[in-house]
Amino acid sequence: MPFSYAELERFYEKLVTRARSCGIACAITSGMACVALGVSEATKDCDLLCTPASAGDLLDLLGETTLDGRLPSYRGNLTAPLDARWFHGGWTSHFLWPPAGSGAYLDVFGVAPRSSSRWETEIQGFYANPHTVAEMKRTHRDKDWPFVTALGARMIEMGDERGWLHLYDEKLLRAFAETKRSAALIKRRPVLKLAANKDPKLRPALRAEIGYWHELDRVRMNIYENAVRRYMVEVRKSHLPPGAGLSAQHELRVRHAEKYLPENPMRDYGVTRMISEAREALSEIINPTAMAWLPDVREHFTLVAA
Amino acid sequence: MKNTRRQKKKNAPIAQQKFREAIYDFHVRAFGEEMARVNHLPLAARRRYIGEMVDHAIRKGVKSDKPALGVTP
Repeated sequence: MPFSYAELERFYEKLVTRARSCGIACAITSGMACVALGVSEATKDCDLLCTPASAGDLLDLLGETTLDGRLPSYRGNLTAPLDARWFHGGWTSHFLWPPAGSGAYLDVFGVAPRSSSRWETEIQGFYANPHTVAEMKRTHRDKDWPFVTALGARMIEMGDERGWLHLYDEKLLRAFAETKRSAALIKRRPVLKLAANKDPKLRPALRAEIGYWHELDRVRMNIYENAVRRYMVEVRKSHLPPGAGLSAQHELRVRHAEKYLPENPMRDYGVTRMISEAREALSEIINPTAMAWLPDVREHFTLVAA
Repeated sequence: MKNTRRQKKKNAPIAQQKFREAIYDFHVRAFGEEMARVNHLPLAARRRYIGEMVDHAIRKGVKSDKPALGVTP
């Protein structure tokens, strides 16, 4: 019998409560956070942010956390070890409480992808703040974008001006063209000026902006996928005795990661190079005049490449 | 005529109402009428609805597994 959504939700919230009581800074993000923040996403999987400094403590906690009497294991050959060295560099660790398909799936991040600020400075209950969640949702997947706008609108409703950074719906931006926005905000997102001026260029500029984030994510994913190959082969070749615990699985992954998994592929590759490749790819598919309205995205990659 | 502070204060709820309506319209356009309604339910009711929807999908055999890629979009 699979676990119900409510059971899993309680399990994850209890996990966060226990983690925090042990001094581990963590917060639920992505789909489950969206539901809590007023945008329903149907997922039973939990994405968890955890500071890299707490990675070891979280691993210890996971190793003793049971679900229906079962302990978790690492999931997949591509999964990086839950260790501060790789966590700082933007890798994700995936865990599963069995049975596969109907158990609990937990993905843990050290650095929130594309986050321009430290998520741990603003937490809302069990969840990451909507600003972080919205930045994380700027992916190459079309399905994520309505969530970004919905979270931005929610922030504006709550009086957080940063919500304007997340509105990608032309109609909504035009409806509030006259709303006053700070110069700092317009500097961070130049298309807001087009919205304020009721400029017809707003539509192509918005398309370019979304396309830019798509390309940035595509290049970013390629960087990590290329960096993980050798590690994946070695993990796949390794065989642990049946029933090996999480700590044995972890030791094996760390051993291979130390040899074959670059700690920070983004830093090695270079943020500037990644950005220029994304811009180049974008310039082939969009109106060249719209390129002038793209935001400066460097702040979204400084935390991971630090 | 000058827009006095009192008039501005009086207009604020109208602007907020207009904003809320525009957001609701956006939810209808982006997620459909039913999910727009769900998104505006109180948290407990929203969670209950999503829970029932997910549990029903799983009972019907819908798979929602994500690949473990080591890096997440």
